[in-house]
Amino acid sequence: MLTVSVKWQKKVFEGIEIDVTLPPYVFKAQLYDLTGVPPERQKIMVKGGLLKDDADWSAIGVKDGQKLMMMGTADEIVKAPEKAIVFAEDLPEEEQATNLGYSAGLVNLGNTCYMNSTVQCLKSVPELKSALSNYSLAGRSNDVDQTSHMLTVATRELFGDLDRSVNAVSPTQFWMTLRKKFPQFSQLQNGMHMQQDAEECWTQLLYTLSQSLKAPASSEDSDAVKALFGVNLRSRVHCQESGEESSETESVYSLKCHISHEVNHLHEGLKHGLKGELEKTSPALGRTAVYLKESLIDSLPRYLTVQFVRFFWKRETNQKAKILRKVDYPLELDIFDLCSEDLRKKLEAPRQKLRDEEGKKLGLQPKSSSKDIDVKMTDAEAPSSNEGGESSTAGQQEGASSSSEKGTHMTGIYDLVTVLTHKGRSADSGHYVAWVKQESGKWIQYDDSHPSIQREEDITKLSGGGDWHMAYIIMYKARFVSM
Amino acid sequence: MAPVPDPNNVGGGGGAKRDEATMKVPSKDPKKKDDKKEDDLSEEDLELKQNLELYVERVQDPNPELQKAALESMRQEIRASTSSMTSVPKPLKFLRPHYGTLKEFHQNMAESDLKKLLADILSVLALTMSAEGKRESLGYRLTGSGGDIGSWGHEYVRNLAGEIAEEYTMRQSEEASVEDLMDLVKQIVAFHMKHNAETEAVDLLMDVEDLDLLLAHVDRTNFRRTCNYLTSSAKFLAGPDDMLVLDIAYMIYIKFEEYPNALQIALFLDNMQYVKQIFTSCTDLLRKKQFCYMISRHGITVEIDPEMVADKDDRDMLQDIVNNTKLSEGYLTLARDIEVMEAKTPEDIYKAHLLDGRASSGPSVDSARQNLAATFVNAFVNAGFGQDKLMTVPSDAASGIAGNWLFKNKEHGKTSAAASLGMILLWDVDAGLTQLDKYFHSSDNPVLAGALLGVGINNCGIKSDCDPALALLGEYIDNEDSSVRIGAIMGLGIAYAGSQNDQIRSSLSPILNDAKAPLDVIAFAALSLGMIYVGSCNEEVAQSIIFALMDRSEAQLGDALTRFLPLGLGLLYLGKQESVEATAEVSKTFNEKIRKYCDMTLLSCAYAGTGNVLKVQDLLAQCGEHLEKGDIHQGPAVLGLAMVAMSEELGLDMAIRSLERVLQYGEQNIRRAVPLALGLLCISNPKVNVMDTLSRLSHDTDSEVAMSAIISLGLIGAGTNNARIAGMLRNLSSYYYKDASLLFCVRIAQGFVHMGKGLLTLSPFHSERLLLSPTALAGIVTLLHACLDMKSIILGKYHYVLYFLVLAMQPRMMLTVDENLKPISVPVRVGQAVDVVGQAGRPKTITGFQTHSTPVLLAAGERAELATDKYIPLSPILEGFIILKENPDYRDEE
Repeated sequence: MLTVSVKWQKKVFEGIEIDVTLPPYVFKAQLYDLTGVPPERQKIMVKGGLLKDDADWSAIGVKDGQKLMMMGTADEIVKAPEKAIVFAEDLPEEEQATNLGYSAGLVNLGNTCYMNSTVQCLKSVPELKSALSNYSLAGRSNDVDQTSHMLTVATRELFGDLDRSVNAVSPTQFWMTLRKKFPQFSQLQNGMHMQQDAEECWTQLLYTLSQSLKAPASSEDSDAVKALFGVNLRSRVHCQESGEESSETESVYSLKCHISHEVNHLHEGLKHGLKGELEKTSPALGRTAVYLKESLIDSLPRYLTVQFVRFFWKRETNQKAKILRKVDYPLELDIFDLCSEDLRKKLEAPRQKLRDEEGKKLGLQPKSSSKDIDVKMTDAEAPSSNEGGESSTAGQQEGASSSSEKGTHMTGIYDLVTVLTHKGRSADSGHYVAWVKQESGKWIQYDDSHPSIQREEDITKLSGGGDWHMAYIIMYKARFVSM
Repeated sequence: MAPVPDPNNVGGGGGAKRDEATMKVPSKDPKKKDDKKEDDLSEEDLELKQNLELYVERVQDPNPELQKAALESMRQEIRASTSSMTSVPKPLKFLRPHYGTLKEFHQNMAESDLKKLLADILSVLALTMSAEGKRESLGYRLTGSGGDIGSWGHEYVRNLAGEIAEEYTMRQSEEASVEDLMDLVKQIVAFHMKHNAETEAVDLLMDVEDLDLLLAHVDRTNFRRTCNYLTSSAKFLAGPDDMLVLDIAYMIYIKFEEYPNALQIALFLDNMQYVKQIFTSCTDLLRKKQFCYMISRHGITVEIDPEMVADKDDRDMLQDIVNNTKLSEGYLTLARDIEVMEAKTPEDIYKAHLLDGRASSGPSVDSARQNLAATFVNAFVNAGFGQDKLMTVPSDAASGIAGNWLFKNKEHGKTSAAASLGMILLWDVDAGLTQLDKYFHSSDNPVLAGALLGVGINNCGIKSDCDPALALLGEYIDNEDSSVRIGAIMGLGIAYAGSQNDQIRSSLSPILNDAKAPLDVIAFAALSLGMIYVGSCNEEVAQSIIFALMDRSEAQLGDALTRFLPLGLGLLYLGKQESVEATAEVSKTFNEKIRKYCDMTLLSCAYAGTGNVLKVQDLLAQCGEHLEKGDIHQGPAVLGLAMVAMSEELGLDMAIRSLERVLQYGEQNIRRAVPLALGLLCISNPKVNVMDTLSRLSHDTDSEVAMSAIISLGLIGAGTNNARIAGMLRNLSSYYYKDASLLFCVRIAQGFVHMGKGLLTLSPFHSERLLLSPTALAGIVTLLHACLDMKSIILGKYHYVLYFLVLAMQPRMMLTVDENLKPISVPVRVGQAVDVVGQAGRPKTITGFQTHSTPVLLAAGERAELATDKYIPLSPILEGFIILKENPDYRDEE
């Protein structure tokens, strides 16, 4: 009979007796009583190895009073999770792209940066993407011509490619169809395709898409693109000479920001752009007279596009010259005072609500973070309210009311989402780059095939006044509030 | 002891003045003569001059009586004025013109006492007159009357000492007798030792190669300064002189019962006989406990035998301390005191929120590589704390996402994940084994391998009678799965590093020469044997590794892991200098693919930490060669440069500068190793200039240079929480966010910087940078060699070599304990250490200090001193565990 002490975890069991005539398994059973560790899980360390169940005590040479150490737990044995974990490294290349948090760039096919940047900007509109994905061959209506159809399909394919790929995508197909549809983009200079005006590409592309994405079945107004980008303007046309006054409405896809000497800020430019003079025949005077035209926004789009009118045709040099003037634009745009009376009334309640919410958050946490959360909230709800792009029907007023039924309202406040910049001295030269805000809040600069992450504060520095990239077309996204 | 004011004893200052004096006088004198100098002289001086001239005349008088009187008076005059050496004493000045006449007269004198007296005076005059290299002062001294040497003043003695040294080397080359010189040396040494000029006494004795004389002359007031000078000069001496010097220092310490210092030197000399002697000569048990703490910090295995301590219980207690069983407790005391117990997640370390805009939003899919990085970061940051937020979360949460972190790692990644548990519970063997137990029953081989490795890591530096690591790992050494084998082998290597355990050798050696064993198993076996027998020069292990190297096929020699074989061999000779030569000779017969690599590794290991300038030059020469493609031996040469030079500050700075040069002119394979060498030189010591160099290299166009620079940034900041490096790495993480490999390195480096939440150090040096822990160095060097081929080892499937660093991980603390070894808190001053070697009196040893209460952290280059008289520390080196004894003379102010 030997007496030993056994150390297990932090405990020491003193005075355990070993009957050397019995196999060590008996000893283990003793320990099982003390520790609750089943014998097969016990590891008892004796000089030079583990105690075997069938070992001979005399061979081990355990001495009286010796300290033994035992290891073992009654814990559950770790098992691999049933569902194997998928690692990024194992994913096919396409899926790895989603991990980066932004999509791939576009290869420059030779002076196609105007097109690449336009595509990147438009691609950032998820509603447009979903509208495109619903567009099918069957949905093609007869009033859409072949080339428009092809261009629409090419756009859909290109957007899809961009989302799937890790490496830069070559937009060859898209470019071909674009040139087919709009032969002006095929201009050659010294055997090379010329640089083009991105604004022209933007407008033409949107126009084409708006034509082809019209829902064939329903009425002429079920226009997905218009619902997303269209701005209804109500204009008062006023002739000072005759005192005549008429009002007219029109729908545009972008607001113009005219740049004159007084304009330092986007807001001033917009106001400027909504006022205009035109000459037309006055029925009262019987001759052409100067009319003043003042426009106000009658309905708000989901995405507000603003074009900085930076280029003008310079006769002397025979090219589109550029105004380098610095025009600041905010990350958060409020166009309340550009709206018509009717619209303002509608906006008031949601705006109040938004202010209240912000005020509440401000009381609790710093402002910057509250803003971010706000954006995310509306992000989450926005797509649902516009599923398929067909929910907004029959003009913008109704569109607004239909969304209000679902509980979200326009506020007249917009957040900057994309900036298309131009660098260089004329529209037909230089370089176009797209800067796109991702859903994660990160800004990505798409310089053809090289996407790179940018800081938000650098985005507002694209306002011009030098030879750096300067904003040419910018797009804001409406902020909603749920009531 | 009040410092004795002694203007002559200001090191180099005295020498400069002497030069000035000898230079100025001859040029001035003739001029003055012409200028009717009598006019410039005061009446007193004029009288003195005339008197002296009279004496000179009288000395030449045939009457011996007159001669004697004149000589006596001359002597009187000289002695009375040699007290100060700020200017040439007047009598000497006035006697200068007569030196020639007196010399001539002396030559013609018959042997007599008078001749001796004159010789004495001439000897003094020669101090300023003798031509360079003639050693006339010494010559006349030897023919003189002998008398008290100090009566002629310090300057005379010092001059004499210099001439003796010259004369000695000359006579040595002529093999002439030096007995007469030695008599003089004895006198001079006795004089110097009495007059606070220990450094000069030591210098003289070193010149005449008879340091033993010192023993007779040291006393309680000057032995400390003497030993201090001896130990610090040892660093600059070539072997075997340095050993001799340290031997003397050891004997002096023993003589005055300064056992802690003696132990330090015994450990430096790696002389177990001395260690034993200290234990047997010291009778105080408490002091012996302190010795045990010192031994445990050094990381060597010492068996406390009955001769050292008679009582069995006492012996067990001391053995426990040597076995480091209390390390975990002490470390946790420190952690609780500093309030850093709260576990940190890798995200807390990455601090991605500080990176504006570029912060990745957290990918939706797990990346195996990034998870692996997080595993390592988690392990290093929470090392030794016993808790973390990935691996040790309670099992009921295991069903959730957090619990099964292990399975968020892929294949071999699971090995590192399971092993990280050992790191988190580092030094706490009981808890560690309990936590690791569940993985032992896993059917998944990588998990089992990780559990085995984890046991090794967990037991690193901790020894136990039960040998749990050996018992558990032993049976897996011959497992059929090679990943399990590697886990067990590497675990043993880490747990038993430096132990020279025969049982392990007998089970690992056969693997080396097993023709069927895969290369990676052989490589790790060689490495583990190298670790276990580090610095032992064990013949048998060396033989096994050599045979293993010879058996490799051409293809295998090209494998990245083959480098571990020469490294294992080199570790056997770590710091053992010439002992490596026989093996180095054998290595010349190896296949040329590995020959040079082996050569460089052996050389650099054998001279690691010696500061041997000749070896540094050898290695630099290797780096200067421009090679054909494919040769890889320059990498270890560059690392070797750092290993050899790392021991003392001057050599270290020189090495940093030469590395800059190498970086500019070297080829790519050299450039890749340079950052690693810098990392080794400044390990856990973030020097700003090195930091800048590495930061620059971390953006290098060659991705491997960048990787090693990033890892090195982590190494130099290891365990410091250095904000600047942390910032640099954070920026690098956004710079390299797209490159998975570089990002992995950045993450690892971030883990290093925050190692142990800033409580650990990787520096293998301790005890005021005197001692070099061989196991710690072995761990670091192994990692660095692995980093020479980052892509195939650390970025491949052998990332767990990162865990070799555990060998070097030590708390950078000072923890005071009372006589019952319970922590007590006392005020201490912590400040930048000041080099006080060779300074008179009791200079301040720290500067810019702050007062804290223990336990405290000590950064690189910092030193602590007690700020209270209430206690007496049992070791003068306030690092690690310090036992405090109450001061019996202490009176409370109340």
